[in-house]
Order: sequence, then structure tokens, then C-alpha cells
Amino acid sequence: MEVRHRVFINNQPMKSFLKIFSLLIITVFLGCEEVVQVDLEESEPRLVVDASLLRDKENPSSMQTIRLTTTAPFFEERSIPATDAIVLVRDSSGREYVFDEIESGYYRNNNLYLNFDTTYELEILYEGELYTATETLIPVASLENVEQNTGGGFSGDNIELKVFYTDPVDERNYYLFRFLRDDLSLQIYDDEFTNGNRTFAYFSDEDLSSGDEVRFEVQGMSRRFYEYIFILRSQAGTAGGPFQTQPTTVRGNVINTTNPKNYALGYFRVAETDHLNYTLE
Amino acid sequence: MKNILFALFIFFTTYSQAQEKYTLNGTIKDAASNETLYGVNILFPDLNTGTTSNEYGFYSIKLPAGDHRMLVSFIGYSEVKLEITINSNDTRNIELLESSEALEEVVISQNIEGLDIFTPEMSVNKLDINTIQKIPVVFGEVDIVKSLLLLPGVSNAGEGSSGFNVRGGAVDQNLILLDEATIYNSSHLFGLFSVFNPDAIKNLKLYKGGIPAKYGGRVSSVLEIYQKDGNSKNFKANGGIGLISSRLLLEGPIIKDKGSFLVGGRGSYAHLFLKLTDNPNVAYFYDLNTKLSYRLNDNNTLLFSGYFGRDVFNLNESFKNTYGNAVFNLRWNHVLTNNIFTNLSVIYSDYYYGLTLDFVEFNWNSGIKNLNMKYDFNHYLNENISLDYGIQNTYYEFNPGEIEPSNPGSGINYFELTKKYAFENAVYFSMEHTISTRLSAEYGLRYSSFFRLGQKELNVYENDQPVVFNEDFGIYEEADPIGITSLSKGKVERSFGNLEPRIAVAYNFNDYQSVKASYNRMSQYLHLITNTSSPTPLDVWAPSGKYIEPQVLDQIAIGYFQNFRNKPYSLEIESFYKIIENRLDYIDGANLVANNAIEQVVLSGEARAYGLEILFRKNAGKFTGWLAYTLSKTEQKTAGRTPVETGINNGGWYNTNFDKPHDLSITAGYELSKKWQFNANFAYQTGLPTTFPTGQYVFENLTIPVYSLRNSNRLPAYHRLDISATYYPNLKKKKAYTSSWNFGIYNLYNRQNAVSYTFRKNQDSGLNEAVRLSLFGIIPSVTYNFKF
Repeated sequence: MEVRHRVFINNQPMKSFLKIFSLLIITVFLGCEEVVQVDLEESEPRLVVDASLLRDKENPSSMQTIRLTTTAPFFEERSIPATDAIVLVRDSSGREYVFDEIESGYYRNNNLYLNFDTTYELEILYEGELYTATETLIPVASLENVEQNTGGGFSGDNIELKVFYTDPVDERNYYLFRFLRDDLSLQIYDDEFTNGNRTFAYFSDEDLSSGDEVRFEVQGMSRRFYEYIFILRSQAGTAGGPFQTQPTTVRGNVINTTNPKNYALGYFRVAETDHLNYTLE
Repeated sequence: MKNILFALFIFFTTYSQAQEKYTLNGTIKDAASNETLYGVNILFPDLNTGTTSNEYGFYSIKLPAGDHRMLVSFIGYSEVKLEITINSNDTRNIELLESSEALEEVVISQNIEGLDIFTPEMSVNKLDINTIQKIPVVFGEVDIVKSLLLLPGVSNAGEGSSGFNVRGGAVDQNLILLDEATIYNSSHLFGLFSVFNPDAIKNLKLYKGGIPAKYGGRVSSVLEIYQKDGNSKNFKANGGIGLISSRLLLEGPIIKDKGSFLVGGRGSYAHLFLKLTDNPNVAYFYDLNTKLSYRLNDNNTLLFSGYFGRDVFNLNESFKNTYGNAVFNLRWNHVLTNNIFTNLSVIYSDYYYGLTLDFVEFNWNSGIKNLNMKYDFNHYLNENISLDYGIQNTYYEFNPGEIEPSNPGSGINYFELTKKYAFENAVYFSMEHTISTRLSAEYGLRYSSFFRLGQKELNVYENDQPVVFNEDFGIYEEADPIGITSLSKGKVERSFGNLEPRIAVAYNFNDYQSVKASYNRMSQYLHLITNTSSPTPLDVWAPSGKYIEPQVLDQIAIGYFQNFRNKPYSLEIESFYKIIENRLDYIDGANLVANNAIEQVVLSGEARAYGLEILFRKNAGKFTGWLAYTLSKTEQKTAGRTPVETGINNGGWYNTNFDKPHDLSITAGYELSKKWQFNANFAYQTGLPTTFPTGQYVFENLTIPVYSLRNSNRLPAYHRLDISATYYPNLKKKKAYTSSWNFGIYNLYNRQNAVSYTFRKNQDSGLNEAVRLSLFGIIPSVTYNFKF
């Protein structure tokens, strides 16, 4: 069941492209990296909620999966499933959808169609403590087409792919792009500098070649989730060197109502999604 | 306030007229170049009195009528002894001969006492430019800031980090003045080199504490650098060819003994670190120093200085980045009366950062500009009292950034972050007072004010709180603005005023030992918005205003100073404590880049630092050098504003990114012969604070580390040894062309000092690992220097 993806988190371009290059210059051209042994302290385990309820634009499905784990020592190889939790989602009309544990730490419901203008509340009872979170379905713009060029990357001869979409002008929009090949690459965008425009998400990888089949996915995000993933991205271990920001433990939107100090990590969100498959020329 | 100053002025003026004395004044210059000399000691041993020359070489002293012995001494120069007769006001310009250029038999004595134990001035680091040029450095590039790091109380946030930290202060708390003009970014290539061309520098002085009332606007230190005026006797050239850069400096008379010019250029080679690829990538820096000086007569001199420096990166035309400082300064030195020296400066200073990202189709420009006028007076009232007073006025324009599409088809909209404007003014008055032969003091008062002017768009928040605390999630969040106001830039949005007292006292037990103490309060109205370990060139300066309060520092320092009798040794021991209010800290996950409402991500906290500094020097002889040790602690804290709020890092004190409890450096030079000079330095420092993960989890297929408290771990200790040898091949008397070779090895035993630890998932094995990044291993270098 578990697929190990290689995950890249690219920076949201406008703002963070500005900063990433400082880092690049110093580490790529001068730095010398070496894996070292470090003794680390261990913190008490916390519940981690990975709950993304999705509705595909073309083919909305009613099957939703939630994953629960706990934090593990840093050098632990596997994540530790949080088992025997009671998980349910309640919509604003009061209907309850119970999620059954189908595999250790994986909880599923097969009857949950997501609707706009509905509030969804997640409830998790785990080890005697009640965790809750509330979200609504966030819409997203459709993916329109893919443009392929050579001349990408720093070397200038990588294939670059631009996947186009039209940003709605009326509100602030936040986008989570997932680019799937052998691995998964995530990008986040907001429309601060592109509001109302037809614009693109940019992917470039030196391993791309003609005939490759790739898949683009886009999901709508709330501002809070955008900020959350923005911080996660900076924590995910691409940083380093004199220009790293202060690391911090990032709080999501799940509240422990029984014992607020024992807060959970992770996020509960409800998003519309669109996808586009593309074969490289 | 002004009335008090006026009353004091009248009092001292009348007081001085009661004395039956005459004024002797003049300018002290280098005999070979007419370069004015700063800090020269002028002593009248029989009268038990003396003075020192100011930054423009001027001195003035009141003496009783009669015959007096006069001693003029300056480190590196031969002492001059004069017999003078005073029976009226007189002007005497004195020329000093460099010790190395003087004929052996003429050298009476060399000034061997490195330390001024008599004046109240303390917490000052001075380095002779000749000393700096011999210290071994990375890539063989002589570097002023890197040399300062070898002195107590000065450190940085690791190799390859920008700027420097003084007594636990942040990088943005240093006032860096090049010919009295503010430099906003002192680093080239992200901190590998500093922006000062050593050939163009006459002298430098770093005030770590006891900062005179003349200076303000930054709370931690003042680095005062003066460029050479240019040789007004002969045409001279000097330069160097190194591994990283080359330098050339030309100077000479425009009108002999009256006017001179100086032009110095320095540039690094393109493709500097990018030779690993065949692509058209370029990374280099250059800077240009210029100076014109014209001495109209004994009482009037005009000086024009300019500095222009840029760093350029161009990666395959898809990423282009240019940034740097530019300053221009026009000064008029005027001797108002025989005991009042004045300097009027008009200064323009500019920092620019520009970026083009072709593949996402946008350009970015940001920067800060200021126009500064100041009028400073040195008033030598009598043999016991000298006064400094003046006014300063600065106008700022802040451009936090604008984004524009780089081509017509770009999906980027033009966007300009709101420009900001401000005035900063100050008046100051200080008095250096020799109370008795044992006791002297300096009292100063500065009143600084800051007027934040109106801007186009300013957010309004509920309860004036741009940052709100989310109790449910236990985190700080950006508040949503409830409105926007606009105010013309002709109107004052908010103003601040601060009285900054400065006091320093020296008591000397005898001619060799003294104790000194000082207190100073300073305020800083500009904040460098940065939340990385070391500032980046892209970081913007933000002025104090409606939501950001000025930083205010209080510092006390005490010290013991000793010159060893008839021996070229000196010892300085100082201890300091300082606390800074309104130090900005950033909420977790604050995004500072292109943020038009910085106030939404910052909270006001405090910072403190305390420590002990020891400097033991040998100042003369074949073997010279020093041992510097600093024991210190530097922390910051941002508590919650209400009992419900957690504050940043749970509201507790935490180590700043540049806290290094132990910092030891040993610098030694040995002159084997006239042809060979050897130098070495060793540095040992506690590892920098950092934050290690205490766990991990997986979210959206990302491996996310869990952290506990900030900066509660440390990198391994930092240490290294550098050596160098300088060879002078053609050292013959009266030869016009001299040259030298400098061979150096940086980090001799190839210590892989950690700049950072990164905790990440190995992309091949899928396992988590800790990765140490180190920058400079062993680096040999060779530099050729010439002079004619």
C-alpha cells in the first residue's frame, strides 16, 4: 500500500526564488557536504493527522482515506501508525461518516461525496483524547494545457514543462501542484503577483526525456494551509548554510480538546482537484 | 535644551578668556605624501599636557607663553622632538616620517606604547593597515572585517556569513562609515570578502562601547573607516594580483602640495566559483574608491570621496543578480577660529539590489537611499577641556521592492511594495575633560529624533495589533487589516525622540596603568528585516513607525589598561553588559521576502549580552602579535504580550544565532629579515547555536522534522590555523619599484569546520541523515603586490 515517492518541494517561485539563490551560490559552488553521526534528544510522541478529503473535477469519487501516525525518533526508518483510533467526519447537516481502519493507521470511508457550501468537521478519538478540526471544500482552477520547451534549469538544456491555468480574479487563490513521474514533486503558488492572469506552474528536471508519461495535479488550498505547507517546505530539509531560517515545529489545524498541550501535528483539509496527463514530445 | 547648550558655551568661553594663554594649532601630515594623520599624540612633557590630532589631522592646544619642549609621536612613525617658543597664537604644521622610511641613524625612538591609557576612550579596536595587510587570510585576500574578527568582542555567524557581530549585537546594529558615509552591506559574495579595498584605507577604528555622542543611529558599534586623501607630493601606484581578485590604486598631486587625487579599483575574476560548468555563468565583484582633496589654505580644505561597489551573478542569462553600495561625500574642513575646527559634510548613500529571473519572467528591484548633511565642531576650549558638538540630518527613501514583468507576454503583474520615507535628526554635545593629571572624563548627550513620513498605503488593524495570537492552535498569525490609510509624504506619520547620555571616565594610577568605565545609551530607528542566521543581500531595511518601535540600548563597560614599563607590551581587560529593547523577532514561519506588511510577522522583544574581553599585545620588535580572548553570552527573548500568549520560543531567553561563549585568537608576526616576514593566526571558538530535530513524521509524503526549543544545540567547536610568508625580493634603498610576494595557507590542518547541520531524507536510500556542510578546507594562496 505504501508507495515510497521521492519528494521534492520546490519553492513558490516569485518570493522564494528570490532567496534560494543566495543559498545555491554558497553551498553548490563552495560547500563540502558530509554525512555525520549526531546524537539527538527524543521528544514525546504526538499524533500526526494526514487527512486530505479530495473531489476530482471530472470524476468525483466517494472514497476518502485518512492516515494517522505518531511522531518517531528522527533516524527511525518507518513511520509509526496510530492504530485503534475512532475517526469520523460530520458535515454541517449533521450527517456522520465513520472511517474504518482498513490497515494499520489507514482509515477509510466509501460514501463521502464532497459538496461546496458544506462545513466538514473531523473528530478523532485516540488514546482517550479527542481531536477536532473543521474545514470547507476549497475550489480550484482547471488545468488547461502543457507547454514543453528545452532551455530550462541552470545548465540551460533541461526540458521544462509549463502547465497553464487561469487564475480567477475575484479572490486570493492558493494552489498545490503535484507533478508525478517516478517521483512526486510538490509546488505551491499564490496569486499575489498573477491575480486574474493566465499563468503557469513550472517544472524542470534533468531526468525528463521524450516519451515519458507524466501527470499534473492541482488542488485548491486555504490561506492557512498554504502558510502551513509553506513553512513545512522550509523545514523539509533542503535548507542549510548561513541562510537557513530558524527551524520550528509547525502547528496545523487539529486541536486536542481534551488536553490542548498535547497538540496534534498534520492537517485536515477538503479540496477540489484537477489533473492532466501528458506524454513528453 | 538649546538654551542649556548655549549657556554652557558662554560659560566655557568666558572661563577660557580668563586664562593668559596662546593657542597653537596646525595639521599633522605624513612627510612623504602629505596624507593627514589621525590620532597623533602631541605632548608637552614639562607642562604635563597634550592633545591628539583629529580625523583630519588637525590639532589645537592652549599653552602658556614661554619655551616648551614638544613631542609628536604616532605608531609606525619616528618621533619628532621640537623646542618651541610661544608668545602669540601660532600655527605649526608638522610632518612625520614613517619609521621604515627613515634612515636608521635618524630614528631617535619608535613609539612602542600601543595603548592610550590616559583618555577616557575605551572599548575601541584599532588596527594598523600595515598590520592588517600581513595577517593570513582566506584566498590571500587582505580583508579589514576578517582582521577585526581576530580582536576581542568581534565575531560573526560562521564562515561565509555576511557582516560581523560586536559584543553580541546583530549585524544590522553596526554603523559602518566610510569617509563618514553609511555603508549598508559590508560584504561581497555573501560574506566571503568585505567591501573595503585595503589599499585605499588610511585607518579604521571600531567602537564597541563608550561610543561618543557624535555617533548614533545604530546600537552596537561604530566602524569608522577613512580613505586616504591621495598623495599630493608624488605620483604613486600600488596594486596586487591575487587568486581571486586584482587591485590597482593610483594617487598623485593635481596641484603639488595642495590638491591630490586617488583612484582605486578592485575586481574579482569572472567565473569565480563556476568553473565546474561550461556554461556562460558569471560571478564576480568589483569596487571603485575615489578621492579628490584640495587644500585651499591652512584653514580650508575640500574633500570629495566616492565609493561604488557591485556584486554580479549571471547564471546562464536566466538568473541575473546585481547588488552593492554607492556613496558620495563632499566635505569642507574649515578652521573657524584657531581653536575651533569644523567639518561640513553632504553625503549621498545608496544600496541597491536587483534581480532578473528569466524563466519565471520577472525583474525585482529594491534598495535604500539616503541624503545626509552634518556639521561637526571640534572646539579646543583650553588645555583641560575640549568640546565636540554638531547637528546631523538624514533623509531616507526605502524601496522595499518592485516586481515587473520581464517581457510583454509574462504572466506577472507589475507590483510595487509601498515606498517609505523618513527623516532622522540629531544634535549632540560632548566634552572631554581632564579633571586632574590622574582623572579624565568625557560627558556627552545626544538627542536623536526620527520622523516617519506618510506613505501611500498603510494597513490599519483592530486594536493596532498586526499580529494576533490564535489561542486554539497556540500560534501567532498575521492579522487581517480592517482598513487602509494613505498619508502624503509631506506629513509626519509618527515621530520618536530619544535622549542618549554617554559618559566615560578614566583614572590612571601612574603612567602605565589605568581603569576606565563607560555608560552609553543609543537608539536605532532602522531595522534590517532578516530571519536567517546571516543576513542576505536581499534583506530589506525597515524604518520604525506606527507598528515598529526604535531599538534602544543601554551598555556599561569597565576596563583595566596597562602598558608595560619600557616594554612593548600592552594589556586590556574589559567587561561589558548591555541590554537592547524592541529587538524584532519573527513569528514562526514568517515570510519576509516581498512582504508588503512586515508588521504582520514581527514581534518586539529584547536582547542582552554580557562578557569579558582580554587583549594582550606585543606592539614592537621583530616578534609582534596579540592574544585575544572573549568570554560572552548573547541572548534574546520575546515574551507574550498577554498572559495567554506563549511568546516566541515559549517566551524564554534563547541564544542568538551568533552566540559564541569562548572565542580565542592568537595572531603572531615574525620579521626574520628585511626580506622575509612570517605570520600565523589561530582561532578557536565555541560552535554556533543551532536547533536539532527531536523527532520526525510524514505528511503528504514529506518527511518533516520535529523541533523543540530554538538554538538549544550547538555545532562542534570551530578552530583553524593559518600561516603566511611575505617576501620582499628587491628591497634596496631608493629603488622606485618595490614588490612583495605573499604566500599563505588558510586552515593549515584542513579542519572541516561545520557551517551547519542539515537534517534530511536521503533521496536515494530514503533514510534520514544528518549532513554537515563545511566551506573552507585547506586553501593555499599566493598574491603579488607592487608599489612605485
